[in-house]
Amino acid sequence: MHSSTKKWLFTKISSLILLPLMVWFIINFVSIYDENHSEVALFFTQQPSKIMFSIFIVFAFFFSALTISEIFEDYIQDEKTKNVANKLLNIFAITIPLITILGIFNLTV
Amino acid sequence: MLNEKILVLVYNLIMQYKNNPLSPHLQIYKWQISSLLSIAHRIVGVINIIAITAICIWSILLLLGTESYQPINYFLNTFFGKFIAVSLCWTFSFHILNELRHLIWDLGYGFDLKVSKITGVLAIIGSFVLTILFYLIGKNIF
Repeated sequence: MHSSTKKWLFTKISSLILLPLMVWFIINFVSIYDENHSEVALFFTQQPSKIMFSIFIVFAFFFSALTISEIFEDYIQDEKTKNVANKLLNIFAITIPLITILGIFNLTV
Repeated sequence: MLNEKILVLVYNLIMQYKNNPLSPHLQIYKWQISSLLSIAHRIVGVINIIAITAICIWSILLLLGTESYQPINYFLNTFFGKFIAVSLCWTFSFHILNELRHLIWDLGYGFDLKVSKITGVLAIIGSFVLTILFYLIGKNIF
């Protein structure tokens, strides 16, 4: 399979998985964002929200890395700059969810 | 003499190419629902990932404890905090509906110009309806 076809398929599959996760997250975010520390921490520590949030951010950053690289493809003409931007994007898309998941798994109420 | 003329011609062509406006010529084309939604989808997508990054940082800050969380809690309870929450409801709603539109196109439906315009308008109006619904469901108002 061509690498562009693979990228397109990954984008579409991740967007399909993200749609229900986005609905789930935004409703829960509205219900907790203005609550106190223990209420917010409870959301991030209890099941199934801890697992659901972890899956949500993994797919969100995976999808964003694929789609933002398309924006770079359209607007960055210099190949070197584009490669650096894509590498930074991939590092960002791996480290942020990783640190967050480690953080919420160490969180206690 | 001929060489000089060719050189001038090549130079003029290069300069002309350099001065050409880059695609998509936003300042030239008349705005249409399709172009508006395409650009908005990209901008909203970038806003969403910035917001999700901020939410990740917010969840990590919980590790600092109750005392350190108080300023964040105070900020999120201000008008600006509520404005951010409602704005996020809209950016998520718009992205969900427009992404659904893209997935329907990928299945081979909705390419007709009239249908494409209708689904575009539905995505815009629907995003505001969905924003209200998400907020009301989230706040247990139903």
